[in-house]
Amino acid sequence: MSMLELRKISKVYGQGASEVQALHEIDLWVDPGSLVAVMGASGSGKSTLLTIAGSLEAPTSGEVVVGGALLSEMSRNDQARMRRRSIGYVFQDYNLLAGLTSVENVSLPLELDGVSAKKARAAGMAALDELGLADRASHYPDELSGGERQRVSIARAVVGDRQLLLADEPSGALDSTNGEAVMRMILGACKRGVAAVVVTHDAQLASWAERVVFLRDGRVVDQTMSPPSPESLLQPAPHS
Amino acid sequence: MITKLDRPPAQALPADGGLPARRAVVRWAWRLFRREWRQQLLILALIALAVAATIIGSAVATNTPQPANFGFGTAQDLATFQGSSPSLASQIASLQQRFGRSEVIENQTFTIPGSINSYQLRAENPQGPFSQPMLSLVSGNFPTGPGQVAVTSGVASDFNLKIGDLWHQGGTVRRVVGIVENPQSLLDEFALVAPGQVKAPSQVSVLFDAPGVSPHSIGPGVLTPQSVAGNALNPETISIAGLVLGMLLIALVSIGGFTVLAQRRLRSLGMLEALGATDKNVGLVVRANGGVVGLVGAVVGAVVGLVVWLAYRPSLEQSAHHMIGMFALPWLVIVLAMVLAVVATYFAASRPARSIARIPIVAALSGRPAPPRQIHRSAIPGIVCFVVAFLLLGYAGAGSGARPRTPELALGIVALVPGVILLSPFCLSVMARLGQRAPIAIRLPLRDLARYRARSGSALAAISLGILIAVIISLVSAARYSNVLDYAGPNLASNQINLYTPNGPYGQENLGPTQSGPSSASQLIRMRKTADAIAASLGSHDVVELETTSASLNHNAPGRNWSGPIYVATPQLLRSFGIKASEVDPNADILTMRPGLSGTSEMQLTYDSGGGVSAGPGQGPGRGTSASCTAKNGCFPNPVIEEVGALPSGTSAPNTVITEHAVHALGLQATIAGWLIESPSPPTAAQITNARQTATTANLTIETKNSAPSSSQIIDWATVFGIGLALGILAMSVGLIRSETAGDLRILAATGASSRTRRTLTAVTAGALGLLGAVLGTVAGYIGVIGYIRSNAENGGIAALGAVPVGNLLLILVGMPLIAAAVGWLLAGRQPSAMTHQLLE
Repeated sequence: MSMLELRKISKVYGQGASEVQALHEIDLWVDPGSLVAVMGASGSGKSTLLTIAGSLEAPTSGEVVVGGALLSEMSRNDQARMRRRSIGYVFQDYNLLAGLTSVENVSLPLELDGVSAKKARAAGMAALDELGLADRASHYPDELSGGERQRVSIARAVVGDRQLLLADEPSGALDSTNGEAVMRMILGACKRGVAAVVVTHDAQLASWAERVVFLRDGRVVDQTMSPPSPESLLQPAPHS
Repeated sequence: MITKLDRPPAQALPADGGLPARRAVVRWAWRLFRREWRQQLLILALIALAVAATIIGSAVATNTPQPANFGFGTAQDLATFQGSSPSLASQIASLQQRFGRSEVIENQTFTIPGSINSYQLRAENPQGPFSQPMLSLVSGNFPTGPGQVAVTSGVASDFNLKIGDLWHQGGTVRRVVGIVENPQSLLDEFALVAPGQVKAPSQVSVLFDAPGVSPHSIGPGVLTPQSVAGNALNPETISIAGLVLGMLLIALVSIGGFTVLAQRRLRSLGMLEALGATDKNVGLVVRANGGVVGLVGAVVGAVVGLVVWLAYRPSLEQSAHHMIGMFALPWLVIVLAMVLAVVATYFAASRPARSIARIPIVAALSGRPAPPRQIHRSAIPGIVCFVVAFLLLGYAGAGSGARPRTPELALGIVALVPGVILLSPFCLSVMARLGQRAPIAIRLPLRDLARYRARSGSALAAISLGILIAVIISLVSAARYSNVLDYAGPNLASNQINLYTPNGPYGQENLGPTQSGPSSASQLIRMRKTADAIAASLGSHDVVELETTSASLNHNAPGRNWSGPIYVATPQLLRSFGIKASEVDPNADILTMRPGLSGTSEMQLTYDSGGGVSAGPGQGPGRGTSASCTAKNGCFPNPVIEEVGALPSGTSAPNTVITEHAVHALGLQATIAGWLIESPSPPTAAQITNARQTATTANLTIETKNSAPSSSQIIDWATVFGIGLALGILAMSVGLIRSETAGDLRILAATGASSRTRRTLTAVTAGALGLLGAVLGTVAGYIGVIGYIRSNAENGGIAALGAVPVGNLLLILVGMPLIAAAVGWLLAGRQPSAMTHQLLE
């Protein structure tokens, strides 16, 4: 079963003369453990696709299924619960909450889900530790570098039992070294079974994905399996 | 997975995350407050100021009057008897037999020579079972025997006594052994003697406890502290009413502040929702912030208020004339103030909380506030509130006499508040429509005010309410002070002193039966010389003889009646005020400076016709038909009254005089009532004391300027208060309202708008809000006052509003908006710091 299924998703903004068709009957599925990159020019509908997939906004038509559950049949509160439990977001400009430390940012989705502060903090610390940020746990976002902030953001997106990771230009504000590090972390999460969708302009980073979907004017114009990733080149060649 | 979490299944947890989620978002709100408290400093300061002012104001208001147990000590019942009652002993014995433990205090009243004040010779046991809170020793000892007395510092000063002196008092010589005071009333001037040492008590008080027994069933002169109190409009009630109004104003101002703050945090709130927070959680962040602001403001205000109270308490003891406990505070009011501060800000934050939670997540994440909703705001609900207020106040004003129907009065005033709030958005729309053809720098801010009227409407309502209070005070004061019959205001000018003979209007003969008979010619000569001496000591030779007759004025119609003395318009008196005899109508009976008195109908001149019908000052013979006003019963209808502006205006000064023509025509006998001294400058306290001591030697009584405010003083202070409050609210609101349109400002700056344009935007915003607030508040004030006074015959009906405080109203309606616009112009104009969108962190 796919972790994420988009069935004939369309999205229209505005009405009448100001009507804009952002997405046009998009079909997309993402299996557990797989990484899908979405590429396209500005205004092609990449981010809209991501927000609809993550239940941040509703499609004009079509169906979104996350983990087998149809979003359109869910109440707002159930959708919120779905986001808390199943969906993690990574944004270009991190969107960490000022006023909360790194570990508090990471453990926030768990606390919002009713997990006790102590348990949530322990889980948050574990997530930060796995990403090498344990020593930055008590730092506030404005005390972290850009790369560190994005790593905290990834930790927040995968903490708990999240099965779907949605990243919108996760490396857009980072240099190439940090950008690659971020992609490596997302790929690492996928290897642990998380389904991921990454919106990016960067073809090199998109090459990390198993599949690349190209959007233009709200339509899927091409899909391709990714070339071998840089990591795969380092793996020993199979015995002939 | 990166982390495995052992957590209960989704069905076992509440959909909104329950307590842990609420705790998490409240913690975040608290952290945000700690980081961004400076951005909320204005609201914080307002809350702190309101709470501190409430604490200080209510503490002063509740502690200034005498304590509730004044006169009772620790007893629950007080029986008072005339000292001359033949059955006094048996009545006291009866009380003692019935209720057991009791304490008897005997008082004999004596007049302090040369003063209108008196003191008491008091026999009281310092170790009595009930009276100890009413007696304390300042220095020396309590009297223990027949030849001893302890006096209060006032009596010691009046009689120049000190401990160890022998005092000849009432035919008895006693040695002063101590200085005492009544902690419950420092004005209580008395000389304490041992029990049984007052030979002819004029009044005897018995303190006792009669638990569960109605005081009326014990006797006619029996009181309890509860029966003495019982006024619903006590200081605590008034403090709470003021507090509620103040917090309402703060809540209205805070709505705009919290809205702008929530929009600054829009992207964070969007992220919170993206993480799975429910609408409730998001709203809770904004509400919690409001609550935190209220809580911190309340705590800071309470600390400030208590510190100021502790510093001010000694001064208040002096001015209130009784001792006040350090923590004798109205704790109910204080707790209520703190709770209301939190409640007001919490609910003020609720509106933006609802709005923010409704913004789509994607729009919130991109920092795009929802476009303002185009809501049609009808004026009808506001007008309905005004009509209800008008009717209620009219019903309240029609109450019996000068006492209004309090519940209707309060409800009427309360109904004005929602009227103002409901009409504010409508007024903003009207203003925007009026400005449609104005230049862009004027049209844009007016349109913004209307577009974002959810915020600007609340600010306008708060400004209008401040003006409403000022206008009501001004109009009521003007109406009351314009009453030409029951004249109000200061008694004398600050450089005037009245000296009264014993049979003058405030002479000792009129204070009590201590002396009798008119003063002899030789006595009058001696008094005149004393008056001259006092005038000389004040550097003045301007001594005007005040003659009086039995004549007074009577208004034979409903409403207030005449008050004040009527002296004779002697040539010397007229000359001293620069009035030439030729300027006076030879047929005039009465000359007055009270404007409008000459046009008052149904006036009668009453006098002693020799048949025993006599009217003293301010005491008409009663109201009857005009036909009953004949010379036979000492009444002259419709006297000719001429207004002479040169006469002095003080209520005790000769502001109204009877002409010699009328004195002769009515066959009145003029007697010397006293002298008016006008000194070059206001006398000092020492000069007044000397004057009083000098006056004592000639049996004269002096009167100096009292502390009663004048009409203009009250109206000026009300105007300053209203304008100050409105400008304060404007200062807080305009910045917030303009920040909401900061995006527009950035675009304007980017397209080359000069600082002049930016200044104009802010100046027009401030000026328009000020003007609308002034107009709406003034209109609401007039509706309220007209509603009340039109049916209130006691205060002169609608005609009483003829005295319009034009200057003050112009200051409010024109001056305040101009000041607001000018300040807005001066403070605006800075180029926006960032031309790009605001980052989350």
